[in-house]
Amino acid sequence: MQQINLKINNKQYHFLVSAHEMLSHVIREKAGLTGTKIGCEQGSCGACTVLLNNVAVLSCITPAVRCDNAEITTIEALAKDGKLHKLQEKFVEKGAIQCGFCTPGMVMTALSLAPNLNKEAGIDSMKQEIKEGLSGNLCRCTGYTKVIAAVAEYALELNVTRNSDIISENNTNCPKSAVGTPRPYIEAQKKVRGAAEYADDISTRNALHCKFLRSIYPHARIENIDVSEALKLPGVHFISTGIEIPVTFGVLPISQDETAMAVNKVRYIGEIVAAVAADTEEIAVEACSLIKVKYSVLKEFLTIDESLDDAGEDEKIHEYGKFNNNIHKKAELRFGDQQQGLREAEVTTKMSFEFDGINHGFTEPHAATAYWDENGLTITTATQVPHYLHRALAKVMEVPLSRVRVIKPYLGGGFGGKSDPFAHEMIIAHLARKTGRPVRVRLSREEVFLTNHGRHPSKMTVEMGISKDGFLQVLDADIAIDGGAYGSFGVVTSYYNGVLLQAPYKLSNFGFRTYRVYTNKPQCGAMRGHGAVNSRFAVESLIDDLAHKIQMDPCELRMQNFLDSNSLTVGQYRITSNGSRESLQKVMEQSHWKERIGKMEKGKGLGVACGFFISGSALPIIWNELPQSVVHLKLDFDGRVLVTSGSSDIGQGSDTMLAIIVSEVLGLSIDNIFVLGADTLLTPVDFGSYSSRVTFMAGNAAKDAAGNLKKEIIQSIVTKFEINPDELNFHDNRIFTNDKTIDLSWMEAVDILMAKRGAVSVSGKYISPKLGGDFKGAGAGLSPSYSFGAVIAEVDVDTDTGQVKVTNIWGAHDCGKALNPLAVQGQLEGSWHMGLGQAISEQMKYYKGLLFNNNFLEYKIPTSLDTPDIHANIIETIDPEGPFGAKEAGEGAIHPVIPAIANAIYKAVGVRITKLPVNPEDILAMMKLQKTSGGNSK
Amino acid sequence: MTVISENKYISPNSVEQAVSAAVEHKGSYRYIAGGTDVMVNKFQGNDTADLLIDLTGIQGLKEILKTDTHIIIGALTTLEELQNQQLLATHFPMLPEAAKSVASPTIRKSATLGGNLLCENRCIFYNQSEWWREAAGRCLKCNGDICLASGGNKYCYSKFVSDIAVVLISLNAEIEIINEHETSVIPLETIYSGDGINPVLLPKTSIIKSIYIPLIDGNRSAFKKLRKRETLDFTSLTTSLTIKNSGSVRIVLGGAHAKPVIVDGSVEDDLEVLFSQVVSNTRIIENDTYSRSYRKDMIRVFLKRSFVELNSKSPYSITGSNEPQK
Ligand SMILES: Cc1cc2nc3c(=O)[nH]c(=O)nc-3n(C[C@H](O)[C@H](O)[C@H](O)COP(=O)(O)OP(=O)(O)OC[C@H]3O[C@@H](n4cnc5c(N)ncnc54)[C@H](O)[C@@H]3O)c2cc1C
Ligand code: FES
Ligand code: FES
Repeated sequence: MQQINLKINNKQYHFLVSAHEMLSHVIREKAGLTGTKIGCEQGSCGACTVLLNNVAVLSCITPAVRCDNAEITTIEALAKDGKLHKLQEKFVEKGAIQCGFCTPGMVMTALSLAPNLNKEAGIDSMKQEIKEGLSGNLCRCTGYTKVIAAVAEYALELNVTRNSDIISENNTNCPKSAVGTPRPYIEAQKKVRGAAEYADDISTRNALHCKFLRSIYPHARIENIDVSEALKLPGVHFISTGIEIPVTFGVLPISQDETAMAVNKVRYIGEIVAAVAADTEEIAVEACSLIKVKYSVLKEFLTIDESLDDAGEDEKIHEYGKFNNNIHKKAELRFGDQQQGLREAEVTTKMSFEFDGINHGFTEPHAATAYWDENGLTITTATQVPHYLHRALAKVMEVPLSRVRVIKPYLGGGFGGKSDPFAHEMIIAHLARKTGRPVRVRLSREEVFLTNHGRHPSKMTVEMGISKDGFLQVLDADIAIDGGAYGSFGVVTSYYNGVLLQAPYKLSNFGFRTYRVYTNKPQCGAMRGHGAVNSRFAVESLIDDLAHKIQMDPCELRMQNFLDSNSLTVGQYRITSNGSRESLQKVMEQSHWKERIGKMEKGKGLGVACGFFISGSALPIIWNELPQSVVHLKLDFDGRVLVTSGSSDIGQGSDTMLAIIVSEVLGLSIDNIFVLGADTLLTPVDFGSYSSRVTFMAGNAAKDAAGNLKKEIIQSIVTKFEINPDELNFHDNRIFTNDKTIDLSWMEAVDILMAKRGAVSVSGKYISPKLGGDFKGAGAGLSPSYSFGAVIAEVDVDTDTGQVKVTNIWGAHDCGKALNPLAVQGQLEGSWHMGLGQAISEQMKYYKGLLFNNNFLEYKIPTSLDTPDIHANIIETIDPEGPFGAKEAGEGAIHPVIPAIANAIYKAVGVRITKLPVNPEDILAMMKLQKTSGGNSK
Repeated sequence: MTVISENKYISPNSVEQAVSAAVEHKGSYRYIAGGTDVMVNKFQGNDTADLLIDLTGIQGLKEILKTDTHIIIGALTTLEELQNQQLLATHFPMLPEAAKSVASPTIRKSATLGGNLLCENRCIFYNQSEWWREAAGRCLKCNGDICLASGGNKYCYSKFVSDIAVVLISLNAEIEIINEHETSVIPLETIYSGDGINPVLLPKTSIIKSIYIPLIDGNRSAFKKLRKRETLDFTSLTTSLTIKNSGSVRIVLGGAHAKPVIVDGSVEDDLEVLFSQVVSNTRIIENDTYSRSYRKDMIRVFLKRSFVELNSKSPYSITGSNEPQK
């Protein structure tokens, strides 16, 4: 141990640190300044950036001792006298903050970058400099677009407003109308100051630290676990193994196939075998290394093909299941006659595709703290679905539902990766019960990758047919997905791969067969665009090929095949609002498609694709008669409306959405609205943030609740003044009749409402209408509404190296109505950036079941330099049932971008991409093949 | 295996102090400059040195000087400084370019030239956590019996990854090193062993003090780096080509062997023959994001391009500028 003096944010500290301790650890754990985030601990994400003697450093790889007597500046120092730094203001104003986890690092990097930018060279050149300067800071949410805009604007104004770096706080109050006005998230300031607490930032007194021992075999029987040496280690409080917590769980009632830790056998490399609760993380790690496990190795199944082979009863990954191999789920649906359709179609095409697994890559690693007291279990955890976790914890801990409380703090992104109940949550709940102490856990980035639940690796063969005049006749898909070791959302994923192909085009002969296999790899689950991203890629590639074959413009072909608004798909999805045509039209115009397509030089190309997605699943995961969402409002004497909702804001801005809706209905400014989200004790049930359901469902519930509160207010005023209720307007914090004979301020109205009654609580709910056909499988993909969209991508392919650079993305997305256009744009830009990653650089690579690239250096999320200009367009179709016409914007947009890039590559070099991510080597090989076979298929 | 750490961290003020601390230390030690390579290796458990000897407090190792014959760069110069140095941009524009291709902008503020030259070799089977390496079954470079990347070799060809060394070697740079026995100036390329397990030949106590780059009129050079992303990523293949006024040609490759691959030739040579010679000198194995065959194929592509570029590029001049020196 060494004594060091640090001046952090102008305050002198003396710390006893261990010689090789990192600065990030000292800042967070010893100085308690948790604004500095930890995303990777290996210098590859930038989340931990601070200033050391005014120079930006990555605190996760900076030894603390080196900083003896130095000055450290963290994000907490920037705001002064309660006012944001000008740069922070720009981040807020521009919507550069979504989950906010990358934000402190981004701001600190930008702060040291901005003064050096060349402001005279023109905005484009400066933006390029900013891209370069921020290229070590990964953001998974924003696609960097708004971050770059914020930094650019700050830099340009640097010289102008020299006199004060700090100006008054941004006034985020409600202007004329709340709905449709671009606004930063209500919590953006807290996030940009580093004050928003994420799961690992919340310190609980006396908490023990938990670490795991993980399997090093893909498939093995556990013969013996010896914890005796580990238990002797001073500071170790409890060591737990699988048999102590044998109750199974899983997010779907039909796949309750997980246990908190491996019981009897391990099913993937990385599965938790034992857990230690100790005084410090270091001790817990040390203890794990002292646990001895004896395994006997079983036959492993690592690929889809291996898992389709027959397997002996004791070789099967899971004993349950009706197949004599490792198939988990088979699904098949058919409408019309595909065989006949293919026979009758004038032109057909058939292709096979392969996709690697994709990880969500949220910047905040999983973290949680659990404790027990007289109220039972309380867990604060990075979760997207507090409700399902609530149920799972009650089941596994074997306590009534009333003994569990799940609190969701701020979340550093989810994208589906925080929507299952997780093993580590069960384990710390158990350890906390056993030790009587709070227990805390945070996963390393490697563990996050092993926990996975990401997009399924998939293989599929898809066949389509079309008439010569360009009307789609038939679609038949044969799909296999690799689920990894456990069920997760897999049954839904299986269906989505197929059913979500029945739009956005009219199809009368449509069928699919899909199966999901278990393999001895980390489990797959739901990820943004759930289920249909890969199969959408296949279909959009095939359509491109058909267009090529019948020599028709692929945009026109799509245009004439789109489903109409207010129609039914072949599988009886009810399509209400539909902005497909407007979306495609928009991107065609913006990209100058007509003028450019077919006229570009070799190596350059434009490609197009479309997509659609559900706006909330109409059926709950666990069948019951609860409404999909309930929102409570409470209005008390102080005039503030408290909105409580179980929905999870995971960085997508749903808390702000709720505030906007309540604000709109009541004509009340947002600063009078307080949103309390996702605490299963305090907030009414909402099913959670998955299937793009929150704006539609929680939004509708909030609207219903606000309507009910409005009724109460009207009733009290009508009673007092004896007027007709229809005469009252709610606007601009006032309630008035048209002739202004009654003209009350909000507070006056509140006094009237409260008189002899006190605080008023109301409830609102959303229940999806009955939808769909009554055949088996009819429920999959049913949604009260669907989003639509189109993307055109431009690429530049280096014909010597096969390297692909995406140079432009024009996208348009029909979200019904943008309640908050700034947030919608952010979702779109983020979706397209994420799709870019899957297209170009991201993949989960395995070595004998062991994940190779379990860090942010080798798992390649595009940096700001790899991300082209993204042109986001919002298409509004005003959905008849969405709150104020709104529907989803968080997931659907990812669908078209990936095939658009691939189709652009085809235009550029005549190579059809059938494997993701795009591999330059394959491109070269196929170009060579073309040359030798003499054909340029362009 | 004790919990109470016996780790130490010292910050000597002079090269001599640093060297004697190293000599005297009983356990394992490691010099650290920017620490951007060392600390990650520590995090992953690949570096277990208990004593870290921080060199950054040593004065006099951060200057860039120009003499009549050389440009001399202190080993502790950061990559950001290299990237922004007008003097270098004028004489060896490839050098700032190579510096800029390393890691990320924030890392380059700490990362040093000396550290870059001695950055540990890499392999996808090696740059992993302790747990991972155990699960994979340890490779040669972490005390195992076979090379996992090649599926059984007894020789380790972990990748040599320093992008800047590649450029410096093509410029015939020399380094000044100090240890308890001597101070010497040796050609940079001579310190690389080609053994992926112990890639550096220097006595362990050696400190690199500075780098000497000869000023030769009329050199032209080109630099290329293959990687998935435009930033952050280590090299999958680095090439540098220098054509000298004399007509001699020097090709240096990184990421293609456990050491830099160096081939000398002349502008008169048949390029195909020259390239074949380069390729046959590489030892590329499947230890990277890109496949072995792709990396191999790219050697020719990069070198061809470099030749084309240089033929249309005017030579650098040593008399061009006398920018203020640092
Ligand atoms: C995310 C990430 C990406 C990276 N990308 C690249 C890349 O693209 N290309 C690349 O080349 N590197 C890359 N690196 C590695 C590293 O950042 C650079 O090589 C850097 O230049 C190392 O310098 P340093 O001063 O930080 O070295 P340190 O980590 O301090 O030291 C590295 C080695 O050099 C020794 N050493 C340092 N200085 C001296 C000296 N003066 N005398 C004797 N021994 C010395 C140390 O003992 C150690 O063995 C990356 C690192 C990270 C974290
Ligand atoms: S946490 Fe430091 S760079 Fe990722
Ligand atoms: S806002 Fe950047 S990672 Fe979420």
